[in-house]
Amino acid sequence: MIATYRAELVRLLRRRVVLVTAVVAVVFAVGGAAIVTAAATTTVHPGEPRAVTIGALSAASGGTDVFRVAASFAGTFLFVVFVGLMAADFSRGTMRTMVLRQPRRVALLAGKLAATLSFAAVTLAATEAMTWLAARALAPGQGIATSAWTSLDGLTGALADYGAALVWITGYAILGMAVGVLLRSVALALAVGIAWAGPVEHIVQNGWAAAPKVFPGLSLEAFVAGGTTEISAARSLATVAVYVITAAVIAAVTFARRDVTA
Amino acid sequence: MTTSPAVVIDGLTKRYGSRAAVDALTVDIPYGVTAGFVGPNGAGKTTTMAMLLGLVRPTAGGGEVLGSPISRPERYLGRVGALVEGPGLWPALTATENVAVVARLAGHDPARIPWALDLVGLGERAGDRYGSYSLGMKQRLGIAAALLGDPELLVLDEPTNGLDPVGIIDMRDLIGRLGAGGRTVLVSSHLLGELEQVCDWLIVIDQGRLVYAGDLAGFAATAAPDIVLAPADVGHLLRLADVLSGSGVEAGRDGDRLVVPVPDGHGDPRALAGALNHAAASAGIVLSELHVRRPTLEANYLSLVEGARR
Repeated sequence: MIATYRAELVRLLRRRVVLVTAVVAVVFAVGGAAIVTAAATTTVHPGEPRAVTIGALSAASGGTDVFRVAASFAGTFLFVVFVGLMAADFSRGTMRTMVLRQPRRVALLAGKLAATLSFAAVTLAATEAMTWLAARALAPGQGIATSAWTSLDGLTGALADYGAALVWITGYAILGMAVGVLLRSVALALAVGIAWAGPVEHIVQNGWAAAPKVFPGLSLEAFVAGGTTEISAARSLATVAVYVITAAVIAAVTFARRDVTA
Repeated sequence: MTTSPAVVIDGLTKRYGSRAAVDALTVDIPYGVTAGFVGPNGAGKTTTMAMLLGLVRPTAGGGEVLGSPISRPERYLGRVGALVEGPGLWPALTATENVAVVARLAGHDPARIPWALDLVGLGERAGDRYGSYSLGMKQRLGIAAALLGDPELLVLDEPTNGLDPVGIIDMRDLIGRLGAGGRTVLVSSHLLGELEQVCDWLIVIDQGRLVYAGDLAGFAATAAPDIVLAPADVGHLLRLADVLSGSGVEAGRDGDRLVVPVPDGHGDPRALAGALNHAAASAGIVLSELHVRRPTLEANYLSLVEGARR
């Protein structure tokens, strides 16, 4: 597992990957902060479960709440990235190369996941910090007070928000890994991933308010947003945990037993 | 060097539905040989190699690689270098980065990367992206990655696939060098001609079944030679055929020549050639050409494969 982890880091820590990730993170931080602060309302209206209020953003953890809310809209993108990363290793034949060097397949899968999540954790921390800075610059213009953001409670809230975002990203990584392992084709995996995490879950949600209590993508969105009017963060975390553990077991068993033919 | 085989294949079978890709294959590969693994497209070569490398699970049978069962590939893959179904490397990474990933995965010393790249002639292109490489360069990079751990056994699946004639010659030279010095090499191709110059051991399979296994000299000896005769006067061709028939051999016509297949178990074909020359001379026919013609290995291979299908 450690060998795989170190090998994956060679791929992930290339200058080009770091540069592209940094650009995406900056765009996300500035764009997310601008949208969330501009969309903050004085009260939450029915039918807008993820809307945030100016009052909530003026609280101690308001700075990093901006990040959490913005992140909740990026779930589909993140899911698709993880699905694509895993399926590409099968489509390109690089998974065969890896299995030949690391025949303990479950350890290989765990090492890949750990490396990806390590990279994501650092990216997440940097993005959260940048979002906080951008939100602090933009908040006064939207009537959001930021004086409490730099308090000790603000720091505690930031750590809690970071932890929630880490759980959120881990959930998408494992679900994406499972889809990639099961389908093994980039085109097919992306089609299924985009369709499921994008239209399918959200269309169902439009007609069925309880959907976030059942579907993994909606549960993850609700969790990272700190809960919604329809589902609490704790309930969404429980739902997510069931999906993620099931997906991890299915991916590991399938990968360990199936022929690597591509 | 050990006297036990580097690879033991014992009744190895892989079925996909009702079709047997590999059908009860049993063969040993001695240590230190460069073994050509030859068969037509779809004969089961890649599937066999994939089973030896732990990529594909056998339906039945088994085997050993470097003394360990193929059901436990983690015990021997560290001593095996392999290139199966193409190099399988990352297009966006440079040659050095690609080999570095492989080195870390397998726990090989990254200090050997420049050595491996130089060995396959890619030292000067080490900083270029793999995606920008030609097919031949990609194959060579795959071999460099396979060589990193200085493997005891090197498994190369159709390494000349898609290469131009110069690329094929380069690859053949490289395989010849890799096989020198006691390393066991198993290299597959659907063309025997690509391998006969570098291999000293041969395994021929067709439709998943073994057709021949043994050394190259033994393979050549399995083919019956012909004796070619040509009369100095072409007008004597039919009379020469009658004379040969009277001597108990049937000759076929090939232009201005007659060709006599040497019967199985005849022994030294030169003795038969001498007898035919004597018979022709006794009939007053002067021969302008008389020689023993051995079939090429390729022709022998095709004949064996066709024979196995009958």
